[in-house]
Amino acid sequence: MAEIILNHIKKVYPNIEGKKKKGEPEKKSNLLVTEEGVLAVQDFNLHIKDKEFIVLVGPSGCGKSTTLRMVAGLEGISGGDLMIDGKKVNDVEPKDRDIAMVFQNYALYPHMTVRGNMEYPLKLQKMAPEEMRQRVEEAAEILGITQYLERKPKALSGGQRQRVAIGRAIVRNPKVLLMDEPLSNLDAKLRNQMRAEIIKLRQKIDATFIYVTHDQTEAMTLGDRIVIMKDGVVMQIGTPQEVFDHPANTFVAGFIGMPQMNIFDAELLEKNGTYSVKLADLEIELSPEKQQRLKANEVKAQSITLGIRPEHITLAKKAEKSLKGTIEVSEMMGSAIHLHATAYGKDTIMIIQTMNLTEEEKNSISIGKEIHFAFSGNMIHVFGKDGANLEA
Amino acid sequence: MIKKDAWSKNEKIFLGLLIPILLLFFCFNTLPLLKGFYYGLTNFRGYGNYDFVGLRNFADLFHDVRVGKSYLFTFKYAIVMTIAVNLISLVLALGLNSEIKGKNTLRGVYFVPNILGGLVVGYIFSFIFTYILPAIGAATGIEFLSNSLLGSTRWAWVAIVIVGAWQGIAMNTIIYISGLQTVPEDVYEAGMLDGSTGWRKFKDITLPLIMPFVTINLVLCMKNAMMVFDQIMALTKGGPSQSTESISYLIYNNGMSGGQFGFQSANAFVFFIVIVAISLFQMTVLGSKEEQL
Repeated sequence: MAEIILNHIKKVYPNIEGKKKKGEPEKKSNLLVTEEGVLAVQDFNLHIKDKEFIVLVGPSGCGKSTTLRMVAGLEGISGGDLMIDGKKVNDVEPKDRDIAMVFQNYALYPHMTVRGNMEYPLKLQKMAPEEMRQRVEEAAEILGITQYLERKPKALSGGQRQRVAIGRAIVRNPKVLLMDEPLSNLDAKLRNQMRAEIIKLRQKIDATFIYVTHDQTEAMTLGDRIVIMKDGVVMQIGTPQEVFDHPANTFVAGFIGMPQMNIFDAELLEKNGTYSVKLADLEIELSPEKQQRLKANEVKAQSITLGIRPEHITLAKKAEKSLKGTIEVSEMMGSAIHLHATAYGKDTIMIIQTMNLTEEEKNSISIGKEIHFAFSGNMIHVFGKDGANLEA
Repeated sequence: MIKKDAWSKNEKIFLGLLIPILLLFFCFNTLPLLKGFYYGLTNFRGYGNYDFVGLRNFADLFHDVRVGKSYLFTFKYAIVMTIAVNLISLVLALGLNSEIKGKNTLRGVYFVPNILGGLVVGYIFSFIFTYILPAIGAATGIEFLSNSLLGSTRWAWVAIVIVGAWQGIAMNTIIYISGLQTVPEDVYEAGMLDGSTGWRKFKDITLPLIMPFVTINLVLCMKNAMMVFDQIMALTKGGPSQSTESISYLIYNNGMSGGQFGFQSANAFVFFIVIVAISLFQMTVLGSKEEQL
């Protein structure tokens, strides 16, 4: 059992440096600066259920690693309560929190063998040698590193080292397993492989996971729930499907999903209680589901930011009831073509499945040509001018 | 295949850089050593005529009471000094490497003894030992202090250790600080989560990871201590009653003004071999404990 509650967690870095380096240019950061100092994490609230896999995701400097390190006890907590299993652990030493952590740079003990590395936390717990040996070998078996047990970390590849680091974390049977960008130092192929292994690993061990990454693919594939952060503020918390289907704001909409969601300036119209959006000359009626949500929120007709995912755009045959753009780049991906076009002053990306195209249509896609495209009302995301989702 | 020409061009640069240094090293290091060995085979007194006496000087070294005594003193001094300096400088380095205010200023302050000349420091301490400490002793009634340390055959060597250590600690501390900075922070953090704190953290993580720096420090410190000269020149001149006569001081004193140039040349040559042997021994023993990271 390991339930973790983060209640109004806050991290402030006191502003001593600012005074010292007056002459230097301001750092490029959008973090909120108050009299206390720089707010690296603001009002973080999350209730993590036992054995849940939580992914913290966001761009560099968004406070995701800081949050993780506060859970680990490597950073002090400036405000709020951190509860593990109903006990407040704000001031509990890292070693007494029953957590293990996997670091981006592995952080293995270079002078110990793989076995030594994995045994070390157990040794500190004064475990009997026989049990220790058994635990290490079990973990090595799970991770497929049995043949490297007597080697030093320097004799291992990056992927193997990260396995050892994971091994060192799981031999202890920790209640909570923290992972700080564990796959960032691996090459793309190895990263995919290790990602699959982490999913498998999760079935085998009973721990609550908190995983930090800046990679939205990792976030989507690993997490039960995803926490999206920006500039120290939580943008949205939800399952991968939720954040993909109902992004809370334009930031989440742009961050989750590859390629990025397309954004247009449009108008939201309301006629007799029916909502539609008007983009250029095209008026699209929203799906009943969306109508209902907007109605519930009492949304008025207004200028909006319209979001549409690249995969939800279709090519239109005729000029009527469609939008038009000019093709800039065409990327053939095999099963699909990624078209980059300029439409209404915005860069627009659309994914066109090649199996739906006739030879003639395929040939008509070339750089500099005009194309017509459309999308249906149930795929549109409606954001206010402040970026917030009006349906939410 | 790489062309021969390309190589020889590189080689020219390497040789161009290497040869001047090699020449200098030969002129001021190897040549004197060989000359020393040559004089060691003679009964040269530093002036006048001399004859070859074969290896007699070298054989006599092992029977000479004064040489034996100086070896005993030098080893005692060097061992105590190496241990004291390394323990203290490691503790200082740990302190100066932690998050404290004015860290950089303090590091500067602790380095000052290193930039002062050995003789200068020696004379300052000589003054302290001769006048200030006895005065304090007399004023407070502490008998141990009321007589100068330098005047006691039992304690004079301790005074030299104090002065030598005061100076030697500076360099060792800097080397240890740079060593501590090579230990990655996340390894310590992993240790913290594994439950490694305090002494265990030092013993299991810090010390093994700074082993290369321990080796450098032990070897350098031992070598410097073996060759102790300035402090003795300034503080005791080998006295009282030759109780603090180091090998270097004996070689200098008896070689230059004692009419034993040939004999002390032999002594110096043997001393050179002893230091090389000790340094090599230390490096092999400690090298096996080092981690290639």
